[in-house]
Amino acid sequence: MTARTTTVLVGAASLFAGLVIPVARAQRASGPLKVVQLTGLVGVKDNAKGTLSVENGQLHFVHGKASSDVSASSIQDVVTAADSQRAVGGTIGLMSMAAPYGGGRVLSLFRTKIDTLTVQYRDADGGLHGAIFSMPIGTAEVIKKDLVAQGARTTATGDSTPAATSSTSPSKEQKQ
Amino acid sequence: MKRILEAGIKLSLFTLIFSASPLLAQKNKPAKIKAAALQVEMIHSDEIKLPAEFQVALYENLIRQLEKNGFSHVYRDGDRNAASVANLVVLHSTVRSFKAGSERARQVTTVSGATSIAVHCQFTSSDGTLLLEQDVNGKVRFFGGNLKATYDFAKKAAHVANENFSTPSRE
Repeated sequence: MTARTTTVLVGAASLFAGLVIPVARAQRASGPLKVVQLTGLVGVKDNAKGTLSVENGQLHFVHGKASSDVSASSIQDVVTAADSQRAVGGTIGLMSMAAPYGGGRVLSLFRTKIDTLTVQYRDADGGLHGAIFSMPIGTAEVIKKDLVAQGARTTATGDSTPAATSSTSPSKEQKQ
Repeated sequence: MKRILEAGIKLSLFTLIFSASPLLAQKNKPAKIKAAALQVEMIHSDEIKLPAEFQVALYENLIRQLEKNGFSHVYRDGDRNAASVANLVVLHSTVRSFKAGSERARQVTTVSGATSIAVHCQFTSSDGTLLLEQDVNGKVRFFGGNLKATYDFAKKAAHVANENFSTPSRE
């Protein structure tokens, strides 16, 4: 009986830890974050992996040796949303589609949750640009808060990602 | 021998008719509207609730595809340099319908989960005179993320612009 109780307790503790630790880790993200620039930044290819940070009033994206900066004061709108992507993606994900007995389709069911950050900003000539980033869950809101604190504007108010709770929202499942 | 000759004449007549019809059709095409440059306004979605990432992806893909299609001067929304350009054509886009779809459903079932977007495109002169308007759709049915529908729309919209407008760089 005691062994059974212990097993249940350990199981419950593991489950709780599993739920809490990723959220706590995500909330701590204050340094450069590993992100994917889906589209929009000038001089950066689509789906470029890099690090994103907010420092000295700039949204700073580093991809390889190149870097791209957007002034927080030039940002007209910052929006975060929840999203998901295939757990097994890329070439392996594509090849898995040809797996026999629908094996690839089963793999498609496994998805990881991600956040997206969309910014709209104006260049020196007043031209409007937009950029979209995907990043680990829970981190987009931190970046958004940092940007707003440093002068960026946002039309979406509220603390959390509204799209994540909406049943009709497309943001639940997008991209890649 | 006579039969072969007749068949040969008929065949050559058919060939002539079929090859000549596209040439005649091309002659009937309306002349392209001259545009020194294009300015792309931000995508509007007043009636439809469109996620911000879709709005931005539509806009960015549209500009990229127009540039790829040979429009050397594509100005962004609010660009001050566009104000001094003569023969400027402004592209206004309004989202008319949007179906989010689901990448997971597409990959698992193949037949369901398509993402689709319909955008009403209006090409006007800088003084607001309507030059051309057309509905353009973007879809992703099988492979790719939902945002790929914005790429599909952009390609089609750029094709419409390419078919109807001529810029000095492409003449």
